[in-house]
Amino acid sequence: MLEKIQTTEKNFKSDLSEVGDLNHLEELRIKYLGRKGLFAILFDEFKQLPNEEKPKYGQTLNRLKIQCQNEFNEIKSKFSETAEDDDKGIDLTLPGRSVNIGTKHILMQTLFQIKSIFKGLGFSVYEGPELESDYNNFEALNFPADHPARDMQDTFFVNENFLFRTHTSPVQVRLMKEKKPPIRAIIPGKVYRNEAISAKSYCLFHQVEGLYIDGNVSFAELKGTLVAFAKQFFGNDVKYRFRPSFFPFTEPSAEVDIWWQPKGKEGRWLEILGCGMVDPNVLENVGIDSEKYTGYAFGMGAERIAMLKYGIGDIRVFFDNDKRFLTQF
Amino acid sequence: MKISLNWLKEYIDLDGISNEEIINTLTVSGLEVDDVIDQSQQFENIVVGYVKEKKTHPNADKLSLCIVNDGTEDYSVVCGAPNVDAGQTIAFAKVGAIIPDGGFKITKAKIRGEHSYGMICSEKELGISGNRDGILVLDEKLKAGTPISDALGLNDVIIEIDITPNRADAFSHFGIARDLSATLNRPIKNIELCLSESEKNSTDLAEVVIENAEDCPRYVAKVVENVEIKESPKWLKKKLTNIGLRPRNNVVDVTNFILHELGQPLHAFDLDHLAGRKIIVKSANEKSKFTTLDSKEREMQNTDLMICDAEKPVAIAGVMGGENSEVTTDTKNILIESAYFRPSAIRKTAKKLGLSTDSSIRFERGCNPDITVFAAQRAAQLIAELSGGSVAKGEIDVYPNVIEKKVIELRHERLLKILGYNITKEVVNNSLTNLGLEIIECDDTKIKVVVPNFRHDLEREIDLIEEVARVNGYNKIPAVERIRITLEEKVDQSDYVENLRNNFVSLGFNEIVTNSLLNTKTAMEFGEGIAVLNPQSAEMTHSRTSLIPGMLSTVSKNIKVNEKNLRLFEIGHIFNKNHKGDIASFEDFTESENLLFALTGNAVESNWYSKEDKYDFYHLKGFVSEIIRTLSIKNKVQESYIIDDKFFNFAVEINYKSAVIGKGGKLKADILAEFDINQEVFAFDFNLSLLKAIEIEPPRFNELLKFPKVKRDFAFVLDKSIEAEKVMETIYGGSSKLLKSIKLFDIFESDSLGKDKKSLAFELEYYDFNNTLTEEDVDKDFRKAIEAVQIKLNAQLRGK
Repeated sequence: MLEKIQTTEKNFKSDLSEVGDLNHLEELRIKYLGRKGLFAILFDEFKQLPNEEKPKYGQTLNRLKIQCQNEFNEIKSKFSETAEDDDKGIDLTLPGRSVNIGTKHILMQTLFQIKSIFKGLGFSVYEGPELESDYNNFEALNFPADHPARDMQDTFFVNENFLFRTHTSPVQVRLMKEKKPPIRAIIPGKVYRNEAISAKSYCLFHQVEGLYIDGNVSFAELKGTLVAFAKQFFGNDVKYRFRPSFFPFTEPSAEVDIWWQPKGKEGRWLEILGCGMVDPNVLENVGIDSEKYTGYAFGMGAERIAMLKYGIGDIRVFFDNDKRFLTQF
Repeated sequence: MKISLNWLKEYIDLDGISNEEIINTLTVSGLEVDDVIDQSQQFENIVVGYVKEKKTHPNADKLSLCIVNDGTEDYSVVCGAPNVDAGQTIAFAKVGAIIPDGGFKITKAKIRGEHSYGMICSEKELGISGNRDGILVLDEKLKAGTPISDALGLNDVIIEIDITPNRADAFSHFGIARDLSATLNRPIKNIELCLSESEKNSTDLAEVVIENAEDCPRYVAKVVENVEIKESPKWLKKKLTNIGLRPRNNVVDVTNFILHELGQPLHAFDLDHLAGRKIIVKSANEKSKFTTLDSKEREMQNTDLMICDAEKPVAIAGVMGGENSEVTTDTKNILIESAYFRPSAIRKTAKKLGLSTDSSIRFERGCNPDITVFAAQRAAQLIAELSGGSVAKGEIDVYPNVIEKKVIELRHERLLKILGYNITKEVVNNSLTNLGLEIIECDDTKIKVVVPNFRHDLEREIDLIEEVARVNGYNKIPAVERIRITLEEKVDQSDYVENLRNNFVSLGFNEIVTNSLLNTKTAMEFGEGIAVLNPQSAEMTHSRTSLIPGMLSTVSKNIKVNEKNLRLFEIGHIFNKNHKGDIASFEDFTESENLLFALTGNAVESNWYSKEDKYDFYHLKGFVSEIIRTLSIKNKVQESYIIDDKFFNFAVEINYKSAVIGKGGKLKADILAEFDINQEVFAFDFNLSLLKAIEIEPPRFNELLKFPKVKRDFAFVLDKSIEAEKVMETIYGGSSKLLKSIKLFDIFESDSLGKDKKSLAFELEYYDFNNTLTEEDVDKDFRKAIEAVQIKLNAQLRGK
């Protein structure tokens, strides 16, 4: 037994002298001082000894274990100091390792913000094709052929019957045909206008339209909903006005202006959206009883709103996709 | 449409209402004001001045030094005009004035050593004509100090109103006044007619025949004899110039005046140039030629309505007159046309000819058939007054197709349901009456009204509801404070794409949005483009057939501004024909939603902790794998590889069943060259329409491992041509189910390995869900894997 104790002591000391780093030291701790380490084995053996021999070895064993533990701790603290020495020269002012999160296009961010507000107000989100039939884009929406209303939306035609949608309203038509009221939906998407490209207009833009059809939907409810939107989007103290306008698919129709006054500049009314009560002709065209159901619809352009909100003066900048622009938002 | 406020006030009393209020009232009642020009504002600090003294400038022969009095003070002014002289009454721009022509501000100045406190203006500088021959000399009766706007009568406010297509009734000064009378609840001043007529009967002097009564329901003609064609008087010229019209002669100016006063377009013919003194209204001969007033020859179709005399066409009905019957200085006798044409007929012709005139835009929205006689009478009266002519008795009024007034019923309950607020019956009745509608029946629940013929837009009950709301102001309608939310199924079709967008953003990509229209060449290069019938430019003739061109244009533009390291994506629709033929239905083309991402330049830029590292194919592949993992379709799709196809040097393709749902790789240099790019670009295109259609089971929780994993590694030397995937398949093939994953952690090529050899090093991970693996179990499996690779791939185990 004594021999074993002495060998363990000797091995421990020689092992300890060869320790190179903290990991190695930890291995050593497990080997000798761990729960199943060599000292534990020695103590197990000690327990098996006849009682009369126990005092003889007990003291030695205990002393040795404490001694080893102390030596171990001493070496450990030495190593820890060397590790801390390494930290001493660190230059904390070096820039951090670069991490890049990308960016959503500002128009998509704007659409998302608008969408989120209306989702909170209980609207579903629907999408549809951009290449549409003349019927879905005009005819069903109460734009008669050869009517001046058609001039309001300069159109890219593919032929007599197909065109690039001039608004997302054809999705409303599809929706009203497929579903029975109540219908409460917003429709974001790309729309096209045959206009020369300039600082003020582009051949396409992004629109969000909304539609609510149910029993007893009124203009007052439309107003309440849009006022709630304007407050959430532009701030609680937004100043707004509803003024009469004309759209073939709504009646009464309105446009909504908000009072816009950038710091240090003169204020003015700026149109942000068009809206109105869904025209009974439109409801009848899609097979909804216009006596039983009423509804409202509204639509707004993301570009216009983003230009306003972020102070962008030229619409083309959205579609130039200059990285220096993209990474600003 | 331009409206003169002074002119407008002839029909309605607007006293006590500020200009701002008037403008606001117009806008909030649906007559949107686009622009306001206050004439007097641009003449601020410009007054009538009196030249007290004039002497030659001591240092410049061509300049004079004047003393100008503005009624209170004398100013020293240097003037360059040769016609300036002492004793003249002139337009004097004081210090602080902004010169209307050019917009420069008058300041104290020193001209050739002499002080000058203002400027004596020419007509051109005042912006009232192009005349720059010296200064404007005014009537000497004008008092010095009078604002020049008053002196010149330029104190009008010109209001530009955007008339919506439904409001034909408001397309004139009288029409606007009528609408204001309803919104302001003030009376309209009716126009008095004081017509004196000769003994001769109109019907004896000319004849009107309508052959096409569908397109021309009514034609009224009035004759004025012995007119003298000359310049119009000042008051008339001013009215016209103020709203941007050029005065011509007393007859044409009167017809224009009536158009802008009443909204009824008129045309004056030289009666002596009308063969047979006859008007025949009929359809044009197919492909006949006709020269309009603007000296342009136009080709007509048989759907166009023409005004003809006994021999030839003399005007395109409702659009423009002909050169052959124009009123000239020699004209003695005139026939005034005051007709009502069918709106869609005029619109069709005007649109086809690309000719939009003050007359056609009114006819195509719908004029008032009931005002034709009055308009002709008023025009005749004015022409006679201004030209000394005599008006023949009566009119020729041919009205074969009588336009009946509409009768509409309005239920009060329906009105409340639509508007959602309480509005009394009295208010409703009053509003409609003020608009000129006649209530013929009225009970507790509903009213019946007759709509005058100037309101073509009022056809249904809903139209009346809108009028009531409009006239009373939308601001009176309350915004409800509670809204209903329906408990239907909630859908967000944009969710899937929004998640993808978020993932790409978190992977460091910048999103772009590009034009969906391309030029023919590019569109056809990338697919079967759909042509636009009426393109805006040669660069935008077809729908985009792929997102690649837009991406490459973006990359190219960015490289030009020195943004060379790009990680971009775009989500958008692309359009391809399914065959070469025309598009007759939705089956003839495919519109799909795609996502394209591209990598170019450096993946890692050189930094204090890293060296720069270019993007390569494996970056692209890594993103593809990670996106596929996030979409939970990893186990449903297969990868395949392509070398050298149309767009890519090499590419990876993702397939689901038989469909390609994604494809991308290294773009070919010749494609890049088309976009002027000379750095490598890697791009990958997902077809989201197909991706979305793949059914995904909701994810299920996998129990976490209770037992330790065991790792082993090895390296082999084998033929370079053997693909990594083949080696991994062989390892799996030779192993039991305990082998759970393989990681290729090193590739090494060197001559020391032998010609066309490479070394691949793998780390293998073993575990068992139910037990702790023993070393023996793993070693056994590991040895079998080694053997499999050695034998099947003729590989050599390295090291150990």
